[in-house]
Amino acid sequence: MSDIERKRILKVVSIMAFLNIILIFYLTYFQIFQAENIKQNPYNKRLWADEQEIIRGSFYDRNNNVLAYSIIGENDNIERVYKYDYLYSHIIGYSFREYGKAGLEKTYNSSLIGNTNTIDINNIKNLIGNERQGNDIVLTIDHDIQQKSRELLLGKKGSIITMNPKTGEIYSMVSMPDFNVNNLANEWENIIENPNSPLLNRATQGLYPPGSTFKIVTALSSLQNDSTDTDYICTGSIIVDGYRINDYDGKNHGNVGLEDAFIESCNTYFAEASLRLGHDKILETAENFYFNKKIQFDLDLKQSSFPTNDMTKTELAASGIGQGRILVTPLEMLMVTSAIANDGNIVKPHLVSKILSYKGDVIETRSIEILNNVGNYNDVKKIQDMMIDAVRIGTGKNAKLRDITVAGKTGTAENSSGLDHAWFVGYAPAENPKIAVVVLLEEEGATGGRSAAPIAKDLIEFSLQKLN
Amino acid sequence: MKLINFKTARNLLFIFEIISLSLIFLYNWPNIEINTIYLSLGLIALVYVSNVILLKLSKGDNYIFLIVCMLMSIGIIMIYRIDPNLGIRQLQWLYIGIISFFITYIFFKFYNKWDKHFELYLAISYILFFSTLFFGLRTNGSLRWINIGGLSFQPSELIKIIFVFILACIYSGKAFSANSKFDKHKEIITLGIVYSFIAILFIQRNLGASIVFFAIYAGIQYIYTQNLKYTIYNLVLFTFGGFAGYFIFDHVRIRFITWLNPWEFIDTIGYQITQSLFAIAEGGFFGTGIGRGRPNFIPLSYNDFIFSAIIEEMGILTGIGIIMLYLIFVYRGFKIALKQEEMFYRIISIGISLLFGVQTFIIIGGVIKLIPLTGLTLPFISYGGTSIVTSFIALGFLQGASEKDLNGGSQNE
Repeated sequence: MSDIERKRILKVVSIMAFLNIILIFYLTYFQIFQAENIKQNPYNKRLWADEQEIIRGSFYDRNNNVLAYSIIGENDNIERVYKYDYLYSHIIGYSFREYGKAGLEKTYNSSLIGNTNTIDINNIKNLIGNERQGNDIVLTIDHDIQQKSRELLLGKKGSIITMNPKTGEIYSMVSMPDFNVNNLANEWENIIENPNSPLLNRATQGLYPPGSTFKIVTALSSLQNDSTDTDYICTGSIIVDGYRINDYDGKNHGNVGLEDAFIESCNTYFAEASLRLGHDKILETAENFYFNKKIQFDLDLKQSSFPTNDMTKTELAASGIGQGRILVTPLEMLMVTSAIANDGNIVKPHLVSKILSYKGDVIETRSIEILNNVGNYNDVKKIQDMMIDAVRIGTGKNAKLRDITVAGKTGTAENSSGLDHAWFVGYAPAENPKIAVVVLLEEEGATGGRSAAPIAKDLIEFSLQKLN
Repeated sequence: MKLINFKTARNLLFIFEIISLSLIFLYNWPNIEINTIYLSLGLIALVYVSNVILLKLSKGDNYIFLIVCMLMSIGIIMIYRIDPNLGIRQLQWLYIGIISFFITYIFFKFYNKWDKHFELYLAISYILFFSTLFFGLRTNGSLRWINIGGLSFQPSELIKIIFVFILACIYSGKAFSANSKFDKHKEIITLGIVYSFIAILFIQRNLGASIVFFAIYAGIQYIYTQNLKYTIYNLVLFTFGGFAGYFIFDHVRIRFITWLNPWEFIDTIGYQITQSLFAIAEGGFFGTGIGRGRPNFIPLSYNDFIFSAIIEEMGILTGIGIIMLYLIFVYRGFKIALKQEEMFYRIISIGISLLFGVQTFIIIGGVIKLIPLTGLTLPFISYGGTSIVTSFIALGFLQGASEKDLNGGSQNE
C-alpha cells in the first residue's frame, strides 16, 4: 500500500468520524435548546394522548373545597369539570383540546397527569403498572376570600390580590373582566375579540404605572441614603426642565417633611426627593424590591421594570412619584407592600401549597422562601408608621377600620387613556400583619383614595374575620 | 492493553438483551403471548449460536459482527414493541440474514476470482435497475420495489453492494486491463457509469440511495484516483446536479423546503419530520422507558424513523450509543482495509464501510433534521427483509475481507 493511499484512507475515516460526531453534537444541542419548546407545540399529539387515558388531578382550595375535577362521562370520555364558571378563570384557567391550556392547568400539566420528575422507589410501581390517575393540587387560595374579592371588583376593570405577607401564600387573585371557562365553545369569539381582553390576567400580566404607591420605594430610598428634606415647602407644583409636575388638583401642602409628604402624597416633595437621590440610588432600591428581576411564579408573570438607561431630569422626577417609564404588575406592588409589612423581608408569592398523589400522599410542598431583604428594620419601621398614618389621617382614610389598624398607600396613576388608574396597597393588622392587599382599578378615572381604598377596607375586614 | 476482551463484550450484549426483553415482559404482564417467548428465546439463541460459530470459523475481525448483533437487538426489540407481528417477522428476516451472512462469508473466502467479473456486475446492475423501472411498484411516491413470486424486493439495496464490486474492479485496475484505450479513459467511463446509476435512482425518486452511491464513489475515487482533479470535477458536477434537481424536480424542492421550515407545513409535507422531532423531544436524555412512549405516532416508526422511536423510549443517550456503534463499526471496516494486502479487497472493505457509514449518517441526520430527509433504512435496525438480508450479505463480504489473505496465513485482530 502506498503512503498516499494510506493517508487518504485515514482522511476518509476522519471525515466519517467527524460526521458521526456532528450527529451527536446536534442531538445534544437539540435536546438542550429546542426540545422543550417543540414538546409544547399544540400539534404534538402526545400532549393530549395521555389525557384520554388519565384522570386529570383535581384542584382544591386551602380548606379542601374542590374547585375543579375530572370525571368519566358518556362513552368513557374523560370530562373536565370546573365547579365555578368565572371565579377561577385566571388562576386555574382551563384545559380543553380545542382551546389549549391556560393558568395552572398549563403550568402544572405534568403533575396533573401524573408525571413527576423525581423517581422515587414508591413510584416505580406506577411506572410499570398502568396507574391512570393524576395528582391533585391544593392551592393557597381561600375560596371565600376569592369570592369576596370578585364581588368587590364586579363591574369594574382591574385586579385584586390578597396574600399573607409573611409566607407568600396568595389568598385571592382576581382580574376583571374574566370569562366563563365552562362556556368557551359559545363565547370564544367574543372573548378573543373583546377589546378589554378578558383572557389577560391583569394581576400578573397587566403592566401599569404605579403612581403614588411607588412613593413607598422612593421614601425608603431617601431614608436609606439619608436624603430626607425636613423643611420642604410645597407650592402645589414644581417645574423641572420646563415641564410642570403638579400635586393632585394643584393642592398646596405647605411646609412638609417626608412623613407629611407621604401621608398627604405630596408629588412635588417626592419629585424633588427623586432628583436629590439620583437615578442610581432609586434604581438600586427598586431592584431590591425585585424590579427588573425575574420571579419564578406559578403563573406566567411579566417583569416589572424601572428604567435602567439614562433618564432626563423630568423623567427622573416623574419616577419618584411612580410615573414616567416605570411599569408594574399588581403582584409586584403587593410584594413591595408585603416586604414592608414583613419588616423588610420580601417573600416569594405562590398559589400552589402542595401536590398530592391520588391516594393523598404528599408529593411536594411549598415552604416560605425569602427572596431578599429590602432594608434595615429602622428604615422599614418608619415606612410602616407612615403607611399607618396615611390610612389614619391621610389619603387612605377610606380604608380605615374601627377595631383594626390598617396601613396603606394610595395611588392615582395618570396614563395615556386620560382616565387615571386607581391604586391602593396595604396590610392589616398593622401590629401583626396577617393580610396584604392590592387593589388596582384600571382607567377608573378617580383617585385611589376614593375608589380603591374602600374596596380594600371591605376586603380586609372580611378576610381577617375569615382567617381568624 | 485490552480492558475488555471479546467474551466480556458478548456477555454485556446478553445482559442488554435480557434486560430489555424483561422490560417487554413486565410491560405486557400478565398477558404474555407465546410469540413474545419465541421472540426472546429466538433472539438470544440466534445471537449466541452465531457468535460461537463465527468465533470458531473466522480468524478475522470478531467485533464487527458483535456490533451488528447489538444493533439488530436494539432494532428488533423496538420493532416488537411497536408491532409484535412485525417483530416476529423481523426475527425471521434476521435468521435469513445471518444465514446469508455465513454463506456469503464462506463463498467469498473460498472463491478467488471476484475481481474477474466486471462486465457481469455491470450487466446485473443495469438489469436490476431497468426491471425496477419497468416492473416496479410505486410506494410513497418512489419507485423502489419489484415483486418476485409474491415477495417484494428492493433491487437498489442489492445494487449498492454490486456497485462496490464494480468500483473495486475499476480502481484495482482489473476492469479495463485488457483494453488500453478504455484504461486511458478509465475515470471518464467510471463517471459515466456512476452517473447513469444516479440518474436512474433520481428518476425512481430514490434520493437517499443516489447520495449513498455518490458518496461511495467519491470516497473511493478520492483514495485511488491518479489525478485528484477528477474528484473535484465529480464534486462540482454533483453539486451542480443537485441544484438542477432542485429546480427541475418537485420532490427535491419539497424535501429542501420541509427541512428549512417543517413547522409551517406541519399538516402536510412537514408531517413526518415534525412527528419525528416530537418523539425525540419527548424522549429526552433517558427516554420514557420501553413501552411508555408513543412511537406509534411517528409514521414509518419501524422503518425509516426507527431512530426517533428508539430515542423516544430509550433516550438520546441510547441514540448516541447507536451512533458510536456505527462509528466503531465503520472504523473497524477501514482498519480491515488498512490490514488487507490485496488492493481489490481493500476497496471492497472501504466501499462497504462507506456504504454503512454514509447511509447511517443520511438517515439519522434526516430524522433529527440536521440535513434534509431522504428515505433510507437504518442498517441492521430498521424493519425490512431486503435491507436486513443485503446488509448481512455486505457484512459477510467485510468479514471475509478481514481475513482474506492470498499469501497464506491469517491474522486475528
